[in-house]
Amino acid sequence: MKRIVSICLVLAMALLLFAGCSDGEKEKTGGTLNLYTWAEMFDPDVLAGFEEETGIKINYTNFDYDETMLARLEAAEGGDYDLVIADDYIIETVIAEGLAQKLDKSKIENYGNINPIYQGQFYDPADEYTVPYGAGVQTIVYNPDKIQIDVKGYGDLWDAAFEKDLAIIANYRVIVGMAEKVLGYSYNTNDLDQIDEAGELLYKLAPNIRLIKDDNVQDDLVSGEVDAAVMYTSQVTMAKLADPSLKVVYPEEGIGFGIMGMFIPSKAPNADAALAFMDYILRPEVSKASFEYLGYYCTTKAADDLISDEYKEFLVLPSDFKAEDMEMIGNISAEAAEKQDAIWTRFKDLCE
Amino acid sequence: MKNKNVRLLRRERGANAVLLGPMYLFTVIFLVGPFVYMIVLSFLSRAETWGVVNEFTLRNYLKIFEPTYLSTFWESIKLAFLVTALVILAGYPFGYFMAKLPAKWRGPVLMLVTIPFWTSSLMRLYGWIVIFRANGLLDKFLMALRLSGEPLKLLYTYPAVVVGMIYALLPFMILSVYSSVEKMDWTLVEAARDLGAGPVKAFFTVTLKCTMPGLMTGVILTFVPSMALFFIADILGGNKIALIGNVIQDQLMKVHDWPFAAALSVILMLMTTLMIFLYRKITGSKDVEGIV
Amino acid sequence: MKRKPVFSTVYLILGLLMMYLPIVIVMVYSFNQSKISSVWDGFSLKWYAELFKDRAFGSALVNSLILGGLSSLFAAVIGTMGAIGTARASLRGKGIMAYIATLPMLTPEIILGMIFLAYFSLIGLPFGMTTLVISHTAFSIPYVFMQVRARLAGLDPSFEEAARDLGAGRARSFFDITLPLILPGIVSGMLLSFAMSMDDVIVSVFVTGVKVNTLPVVIYTQLKTGVTPKVNALCTLMFFATLILVLLSALLGRIGNTKKSK
Repeated sequence: MKRIVSICLVLAMALLLFAGCSDGEKEKTGGTLNLYTWAEMFDPDVLAGFEEETGIKINYTNFDYDETMLARLEAAEGGDYDLVIADDYIIETVIAEGLAQKLDKSKIENYGNINPIYQGQFYDPADEYTVPYGAGVQTIVYNPDKIQIDVKGYGDLWDAAFEKDLAIIANYRVIVGMAEKVLGYSYNTNDLDQIDEAGELLYKLAPNIRLIKDDNVQDDLVSGEVDAAVMYTSQVTMAKLADPSLKVVYPEEGIGFGIMGMFIPSKAPNADAALAFMDYILRPEVSKASFEYLGYYCTTKAADDLISDEYKEFLVLPSDFKAEDMEMIGNISAEAAEKQDAIWTRFKDLCE
Repeated sequence: MKNKNVRLLRRERGANAVLLGPMYLFTVIFLVGPFVYMIVLSFLSRAETWGVVNEFTLRNYLKIFEPTYLSTFWESIKLAFLVTALVILAGYPFGYFMAKLPAKWRGPVLMLVTIPFWTSSLMRLYGWIVIFRANGLLDKFLMALRLSGEPLKLLYTYPAVVVGMIYALLPFMILSVYSSVEKMDWTLVEAARDLGAGPVKAFFTVTLKCTMPGLMTGVILTFVPSMALFFIADILGGNKIALIGNVIQDQLMKVHDWPFAAALSVILMLMTTLMIFLYRKITGSKDVEGIV
Repeated sequence: MKRKPVFSTVYLILGLLMMYLPIVIVMVYSFNQSKISSVWDGFSLKWYAELFKDRAFGSALVNSLILGGLSSLFAAVIGTMGAIGTARASLRGKGIMAYIATLPMLTPEIILGMIFLAYFSLIGLPFGMTTLVISHTAFSIPYVFMQVRARLAGLDPSFEEAARDLGAGRARSFFDITLPLILPGIVSGMLLSFAMSMDDVIVSVFVTGVKVNTLPVVIYTQLKTGVTPKVNALCTLMFFATLILVLLSALLGRIGNTKKSK
């Protein structure tokens, strides 16, 4: 027993030691920027560069889901954080609740560098509150050695060639939406009959499903655990870099589209620092470094030409890409959401 | 003389009551409020896209009886029973043997059992992914032994989830049983043996009974958590097995239906309470030793 | 007369091997060159280099250690006292209190996080280390409480009575008799608490403040990019740090013991 006590003592000592270290953190002069988003959104060098240049210290803290962020922001009544990066649909709610502030664009010199294709979207129609930071589409990626049929769109996924070999995204809006798209409906339909119809179609997809997963699906595709996957842009980037023989399909039924946006909470303690950070990120060379690290579509038009050839095909939208083919996934009514969720739960039950 | 004893007894009780102070304070200040909020929440209506409306409703509890959610409950309970049984089978002997080790080994082994659980559970699961992967470690091992001829594709299946859950919950059982066996009075076993009981009978009549508090603690720490460990079902089961934990997670984070999520949690808690109650009824003991 | 316990030794060793197998695999893969974790691409130290470049991990580790240490310590004090009090005091409503105190363990973490968030903002507690410690203490207390209760149950009260009869004071008989007997329960409860705290992300993301990021939060919130092998490197380092601490303290314990026996 003595030994255990001494183990505890040593641990406590180590703790105190660590605690002592953390006090030594130096406080820089330019104030602080409280940055709130997922982990690994920035190359550490990019953040360090900003701190060095402005003297502003960055406190980078993380949330797991958009919803956690919204709950925290509500609790803080729009305070605490200076800059938040989150998904489009949640930003719509944030703005509707008055938790974001209008941007003083005169302080963002590089504002003109933004790619206009990512502006004026449903969550911020007049571009008053947000600066986009990365965008993604959902695409089908497959291994042509294993899947012999010609894949053109979501409709082909029901083919027996995919039996027990397909991975899909773990987001019910994307997956129920996939069935809606095959039927020719919108991702954002509130028509319960249409959703039911999509549900019935989706249940028939169950025998083909091997895996439902949001992150690191590229691992399973590259290792041969699955032969095909519906996945997000950053995962496609990683998968293609690891195995160039994989085929990427932009579904003919239409392309689900998502944008991440930077916004400043309504009572941000240091909005100026946030504006300075936005301006910094929008510099072409900083954007290049950021998006090559992140692996999402580059939302800074001015950076497109700088992106190295290795990444170009993944980070810059294909030139023949038509904005009309894209549809963003927005918020739907409570009944529609409940219906979709019930379908989703039953669908997962059927996938065994 | 009698008076003095009564006074002593009273002072004694007073001192013991003081021991309860910190727990009472903490519970009243930091726990009662949140849990009252949760129960209230489970009777409110959901708002259109986000949040709640202060209108009383029973919808959230009635919704549980929809076939989709009932079957999820049933699946969760089945899995919980299976996992708990396997955890007892694997964990009880471990805790038992550990407690019977020579004293100088107990401390180190106790530490060895806990160290893996000080690293991220995500990473431990990731280790299992590598093991279960097609042509992964397990496949290679089985094929080398000629037990199987082709990759089993065990990853993202039910057995993988069960293994992951056992792995995550085992230390709770081991530590609970260990701490119960370690303080056991072995003279009782000897007495039983002297009275002619075989080792098996002595174990079931004496040892098992004496270590029941530890075993029950382990069961309580395993059963309900196994219904809520949604990330294991997600990561090792490929998200295809929906547990109550997954539904609660989805309701909060994706459907934004907080009241329904709260109602599901209340039901989970009631189930544990019921287990404790049943245990009391069956054993006839006034309180479950080790629990409440 | 006494048999060598071969079977039990083999069982324990096999059990421990199974527990460490996944961790060893993670360690091996932390030296993998490829960013895709399923493909072995040759030996490399680059993830360790990137880890040291990324200061997000360093400060998060410090925060997690402080948080785990403080919350398991508070849980040990409150849980142990509560368990003894519940066993001995005859106070009305102690059963209910003990029940409420165990609820956090029986509640899905995500609900726990949400209700704590709502409650802390209601009572106006500033979010940060304080709220983290409170919520982690809350879900840790049951682990200590239950371990100590299991230990106390059936503990022969005659030991302490005997000590009292021999003239030992209340405090003395507690520290000399009861405490050593329940110490294994306290320690295993604390070890569990520390482990739970070091692994919690769901409650933490809800109640943390603008300056405090914990290690599990950094690890689990890489949803947009996928978990990088940096995390494997981190886990490997942490594992060895823990191991060194344990060995060190075991060594210290041994020195202490030999001194005593002289």
